[in-house]
Amino acid sequence: MTLFSLAKKNIKGNFNHYFVYFVTLVFSMVIYYTFAALQHSENIQESIELSDTMRFMFGVSSVILILFVAVFVLYSNSFFTRKRKKEVGLYAILGLRKKTIAKMLFYENLMMGIIALVIGIILGTLLSKLFAMILVKLMGSTTEVDFGISAMAIIQTVIVFMVIILFTSVQGYRLIYRFKLIELFHAEKKGEPIPKVSPISAVIGVVLLVGSYWLILRPLPDDWTTEYLLRNDGVAFLALVIGTHLFFRSVTVYLLKLSQRNKSRYYRGTKLIETSQLLYRIRGNARTFTVIALLSAATISFFGATYGGYYSNEKSAKEVVPFSYSFLSKGPEFDSQVENIIEADDQHPIQAQLEIPVIQIEGTLSFQLDYDINPVKLISASTFNQAAKALNRDETVSLTGDEAAVIQPRFTEYTEATFKGESVTLQLDRGSRQLRLDHMVEGNVLPFDYPDFYVVVSHDVFAEIARQEAPLTYNVYEVENETTAQATSEKVNKLVGNDFQVSSSFYTEYKKGKEGNALTLFIYGFLGLVFLAATGSIIYFKQLTEANEATGHYEILRKIGVSKRDIRRSVKKQSLFVFGLPLTVGILHSCVILYFISNFISDLIGVNLMVPILTAIAVFIIIYTVYYAWTVNTYNRIVNR
Amino acid sequence: MKTVVEAKQIKKVYGSKGNVFSALEDIDLTVMEGEFVGIMGPSGAGKTTLLNILATIDEPTSGDIVIDGINVTKMTEEQLSAFRRDKLGFLFQDYHLLDTLTVEENVILPLALAKMNVKELERRVDEVADTFGIRDILKKYPYQISGGQKQRTAASRAIISNPSLILADEPTGALDSKSATDLLECLKDLNEHDKATILMVTHDAYAASYCNRVLFIKDGNIFTELVKGERSRKAFFNKVLDVLSALGGGAHDVI
Repeated sequence: MTLFSLAKKNIKGNFNHYFVYFVTLVFSMVIYYTFAALQHSENIQESIELSDTMRFMFGVSSVILILFVAVFVLYSNSFFTRKRKKEVGLYAILGLRKKTIAKMLFYENLMMGIIALVIGIILGTLLSKLFAMILVKLMGSTTEVDFGISAMAIIQTVIVFMVIILFTSVQGYRLIYRFKLIELFHAEKKGEPIPKVSPISAVIGVVLLVGSYWLILRPLPDDWTTEYLLRNDGVAFLALVIGTHLFFRSVTVYLLKLSQRNKSRYYRGTKLIETSQLLYRIRGNARTFTVIALLSAATISFFGATYGGYYSNEKSAKEVVPFSYSFLSKGPEFDSQVENIIEADDQHPIQAQLEIPVIQIEGTLSFQLDYDINPVKLISASTFNQAAKALNRDETVSLTGDEAAVIQPRFTEYTEATFKGESVTLQLDRGSRQLRLDHMVEGNVLPFDYPDFYVVVSHDVFAEIARQEAPLTYNVYEVENETTAQATSEKVNKLVGNDFQVSSSFYTEYKKGKEGNALTLFIYGFLGLVFLAATGSIIYFKQLTEANEATGHYEILRKIGVSKRDIRRSVKKQSLFVFGLPLTVGILHSCVILYFISNFISDLIGVNLMVPILTAIAVFIIIYTVYYAWTVNTYNRIVNR
Repeated sequence: MKTVVEAKQIKKVYGSKGNVFSALEDIDLTVMEGEFVGIMGPSGAGKTTLLNILATIDEPTSGDIVIDGINVTKMTEEQLSAFRRDKLGFLFQDYHLLDTLTVEENVILPLALAKMNVKELERRVDEVADTFGIRDILKKYPYQISGGQKQRTAASRAIISNPSLILADEPTGALDSKSATDLLECLKDLNEHDKATILMVTHDAYAASYCNRVLFIKDGNIFTELVKGERSRKAFFNKVLDVLSALGGGAHDVI
């Protein structure tokens, strides 16, 4: 028998154990291939606004993906090799040289990797079209996806995964050399002591978790700085990580031990067996649980936040570019040229049309504000109210005399209290003019342009200042169905140039936002799926190893009168605990983190995150349920023969 | 006196057509209440197969087994589990203790599985702890105690549910002679004072000499039977040795 055929036989024989690993590996290859294909697809890039960003993002995310997959593959491999210590020991006793054994393991790993790679690429070419369609749909493009086989993506996927596979194969090869023959036969330790629980570390764990939640959830002070944020949430993050670890290491042990005290419940049916089994294993699983809980927390919260952004894109685009089209007037001829374009679009009839005069002028505030205000932009109250009405907004201002209202600068969180009782002094040609900042209104009427410091003044004051400083006039149009006005927007953009830091037309901003969010959503979504699949598969291995070690136990139990059904039920309960605990902790963490994110990222302020969070959590639970069912089934097959 | 075990024409055939091996040919066996019966025979004679079939862990190819008035060959897996839990006690060569449980928890396991109330359960533990002298080690884990202690723990577990029949498979096989004697004395006590019915498979003539009656099996058939009667244990031991040498094959692992 050649070494190759022995390796082949081993794969076949162990395929049951490898299956989930194999599926996960293939899955990550498919995702990697898709990312690479999208990165190189000119066809898709032509049809979207953000093509550069897209290439960059897919580049970065495939690197993250590959790092994660590398860790996963390495971990799984060392796991397999350790599990097969006995087998390796047997080969050694039979007189096979270490070198030969190592070579055999090397071939095994290589063969499996190559098979996975072939399947991964075949599935990748088939599925990436579907995934690309999902992306295009998310982005709201109408273009047909013509997305063939990407040679570049195939080459890239093959190279990257071959490197990983070769590396792990070599790692497996080296592992054999580190084993001592005597150890190989004692691979499964017997009589491991039951973990002792120190109440102190359990208490510290709880304190750290509660503390980090408190740090994250407490409202930001008004004058928060980046430094404050880094300190506060850095500490919170550290506490969360350590607290989570201690939670799994000590708190759960402590709780399980506590549950043993209640004898009338503990000594009832198979409860006794389950509790002691979990207690016995939980220490060894603490680190995995921690990683899984934190990883799922991060994935759920990022996914939730992005989904929230995607969800609320129209609203935030409307904030950044309030009217369908806004441009600076450059004389009647130019203006009517633009107007003709807008009027020519039958699909998007004009609902409202307005001229907004704005005075730009130097000014100083009566207090320190960490926002650049110059040049201050003045709008007359009557124009502001007209514009607000045209936009179907409820908020209006009524000002008399020297009263003025600040429009909340976009992407900031100033409140009326910030300005109340303060004033702004404007530098006019003939001396200065002081205005009282009595109010703050939300919702600007012109596209964003830094510094976004607009002050609404009364009609009379505006007229008075306008006599000294000539106002600029902006023409704005609001049209029906503005989210589809692609062609007209492109024409208008071309003609008017860059009047603002953002686009002159709502559609462009909306579409860019939608594409950007769709892209992140897509990437987080698929990265999250890979994370999830990998962690699920790691729990699966762990449970299976446990099952193999526990066959003796279950045999004893069957002999002394536990029915197969009861054993199955007991396996289910234990697996539920093992899958459910890190997931529950992860979900709790992510809710806290999301609460923080939604308060902090201005895009998400006021966005209802309920739907996206529930979606993300539901997806997590569904995938874990699949792995759970898989685990229970295999576990059962092993112990309930 | 009540009949505890009544087995008729038990056959066990392994393998399928072309490659058939018959482990038990045609065995009839009756055990009365309060008997301590030994089963001996050379390796491969079918001792353990017989025990497993009586223990309802294995099924006979044909034949009927009635234990405590119940025909076990007609029961479902579910019923058998409950039956084993309530009516049978087990003792194995390699103890079969769960190392995640303390000695105490191991002992009460059958009662916990039967969902007995805690008061009654603790009273029973208290009782058996003295019978087998494990009171001092109740809170320890199996890996912290010696082989003899482990087997006494297993024996406590076997009797805690007051089973109709205790089945022992080479219970002294892994013990040193002192521990083996202790265990056998305990079993004898249990048999004499509590009228426990015990069926023990063994290789060891010394262990067999503690029984009231010893059956010898050879090639799947009952070869002969020895009854202790009024003989001393020493005399019975010699008698057992005689039969074993006549039986052949197994003689080398007598002592």
